[in-house]
Amino acid sequence: MHLEAQHLSFGYIPEQTVLHDISLSLKAGEILYILGRNGGGKTTLLSCLAGLILPDTGRVLIDGKLLTSFSTAERAKFIGLIPQMHIPSFAYSVEEMVLMGRAPHLGWLGSPSRVDYQIVEEALEQVGLFEMRKRAYTEISGGEQQLVLIARGLAQKCQVLLMDEPTAHLDLSNQHRVLEIIQQLSQRGLSFIISSHAPNDALAYADNVLLLTGGWATDYGLPKEVLTESRLSAVYGIQTEVIYQSENGRFIPRAVVPRRPERIRAESLYDHNSFLSQMFVQRDNQPRLLLVTGLSGAGKTTWCTKLARIAKEKGLTVRGILSPGVFKGQRKMGIGVQNLATGEERLLATLNENDYRDLSTPRWTFDAEQLKWANDILADIDESDLLIIDELGPLEFLRGEGLTAALEIIDQKRYHVACVVVRSSLLPKVLQRWPDALVVSGDF
Amino acid sequence: MKSSRFAKLTEGRSSQTIRIIFIILFTVPVILFVLSLTLGRYPIGPIDVLRVLLSPFFPNLANDIPDVAQQLILRVRLPRILAALLIGASFGGTGTAFQAIFKNPLVDSNILGVTSGAGFGAALALLFMADSWIVQISAFVFGLAAVSLAFFGSRLYKTSPLLVLTLMGILVGSLFSSLTSLLKYVADPLDTLPAITFWLLGSLTSVTWSRLASLAVITLIGVVFLLLIRWQLNVLSLGDNEARALGVSPSRMKLLIIIFTTLMTAAAVAVSGVIGWVGLVIPHAGRLLVGPDHKNLLPAAMLLGASFMMLIDDVARAMLPGEIPLGVLTGLIGVPILIVLLRKNRTGW
Repeated sequence: MHLEAQHLSFGYIPEQTVLHDISLSLKAGEILYILGRNGGGKTTLLSCLAGLILPDTGRVLIDGKLLTSFSTAERAKFIGLIPQMHIPSFAYSVEEMVLMGRAPHLGWLGSPSRVDYQIVEEALEQVGLFEMRKRAYTEISGGEQQLVLIARGLAQKCQVLLMDEPTAHLDLSNQHRVLEIIQQLSQRGLSFIISSHAPNDALAYADNVLLLTGGWATDYGLPKEVLTESRLSAVYGIQTEVIYQSENGRFIPRAVVPRRPERIRAESLYDHNSFLSQMFVQRDNQPRLLLVTGLSGAGKTTWCTKLARIAKEKGLTVRGILSPGVFKGQRKMGIGVQNLATGEERLLATLNENDYRDLSTPRWTFDAEQLKWANDILADIDESDLLIIDELGPLEFLRGEGLTAALEIIDQKRYHVACVVVRSSLLPKVLQRWPDALVVSGDF
Repeated sequence: MKSSRFAKLTEGRSSQTIRIIFIILFTVPVILFVLSLTLGRYPIGPIDVLRVLLSPFFPNLANDIPDVAQQLILRVRLPRILAALLIGASFGGTGTAFQAIFKNPLVDSNILGVTSGAGFGAALALLFMADSWIVQISAFVFGLAAVSLAFFGSRLYKTSPLLVLTLMGILVGSLFSSLTSLLKYVADPLDTLPAITFWLLGSLTSVTWSRLASLAVITLIGVVFLLLIRWQLNVLSLGDNEARALGVSPSRMKLLIIIFTTLMTAAAVAVSGVIGWVGLVIPHAGRLLVGPDHKNLLPAAMLLGASFMMLIDDVARAMLPGEIPLGVLTGLIGVPILIVLLRKNRTGW
């Protein structure tokens, strides 16, 4: 058996493409994991592969034959689909549920015979649920329900089982039970395509992994090659950390965990052994990009100011810009911009008086001339030890306006350490652009 | 104590038990059929009834029974009771099929507006004081028209076809109900209005052999069709996507089922007038007896429906000197039964 998808694209409505040019291939006994964020197109891809929806472009082949050339029943003899868990309206018994897997073999007037019941018994025995066959499907545990659906796939005698988030809602032991059964069945030649939110399961069970980001297959290959910190950070928009285990002198990735923002005090730069100082010392290392986050008003600018001052005291070259707020009483009425090389400061933006009262996120009116001044400063920056950009917002990342020069100099990497202030809500977007960056929350 | 009872309910019944239940389900309508023939102003004993029924095959069997009694059984009671039996089986079967394809245990074959359409058709014919066979045809045609309108109306929308179809059925049903009300408003209060009102309340009084013929043919064809595809109802009740993944083409199957059940329901309503609740209640009773597997449930619901309608018709005929409208009785008896069933049926539906 060989399943192949070539350049699949699909959109539920013509203007909105959900899947972009996705290709994959699957051999007998292989387990392919599809990982990606909610709404990334995983379920749609499974529906496409199962032939439930027709791709706009591209094709699916089974042993070289077009999936579309199969009838509904013929197709179901090759490909089974286990949808996301849902409770049927009627309380069928476990046996009756599994029996429905025989439908493609029976024809539209067909009714199951003795042989079909024997096949069902066999399938239930394989997943270890034979004793439960008379119980109501609606009343057994979620893990058992999932196993019943796998048994249905076995009774269907298909060669590929597509499973949509089989371990969602299951407790740890049930997850393990389901995944081990999948593993055992794959050794007997049944292939699986599994959409999942569990990269750890993919590390443990998958032969191949496909990462889906916004409908694009951003990565496809062996789990240990695909499930790396930077790729997962880009896909999920969070910092991730892969934890390795040493086995016979080799390091094997065992788990992927989200990484919380590193809490760093600006003063730690005084301490020669601190995490922050070490980044400057290891000069042969790659340039490091720190994303400084926190809620607005948490003190990000203060942190940067402090860091810049200490760095200068230690004789490092500091470049970039700060954006200190300009206050009238308690209220922030303007945003300044300060050239860190010279200390010169100008007023970059002011608040529109008419709407500041009602808006929690005020609308700033930018001064085009000062913005150009700030961009010119950034564009002129050459080599530096510490580059500080305070701050990049939706303007730069979503609309391509504002401090556009900042994005370029960050990409040019002519610094040892760059600190870029970014609000938390933008992190997923920013991490997609710089997946190797380290998220830092100033210990203010 | 409580948990053991619960466990009993969640365990499916053994095939042995189901066989016994089916023997009972087959016997009850036969007994009821004979007993129903004995009931009425002119009492005739069950033995005599059997003799009269068998007299066409054994000519001398019923010679001593008065001609009036023979005519009463063969010309008046027999077609009426056969109609009750067929209509009951039809409602039980179509209700079960619709609950499966709509994935909803709270619908029956009226959900697409067939009864409202038929009611309007009958009211229209009665307004022009048409013959009873024209009333029957008009009811049948408008019943089909209502469902077609709902079905093709739902095709205008691409999303969630099941929900739109249900909504369209409800809309078309309300539309025809309003039209019927309009006809009642303009009807002659001394003449056509009572006729329309009585028709809408449901009755089997005027059933004759000639009116029974079309009902019998359509119902029997429909029953055979439903029995043939009954196991596929299990697969269809899981939803379109899952059915397709299991190799069953849901749109084709559902269209066929809607066509057959609508023909059956329209034929039944055209003869009996509006009789509610049977198609809704009977499948629940069936599930309680034989479980949700449509392989058993569909025949069980048909047999139960047949028994239930004969019983209801007996009550309508025998309880009061005059006749109680059937639609009133099915509601009066059906609703309490449904409430009890929903309370008892703990294994989901």
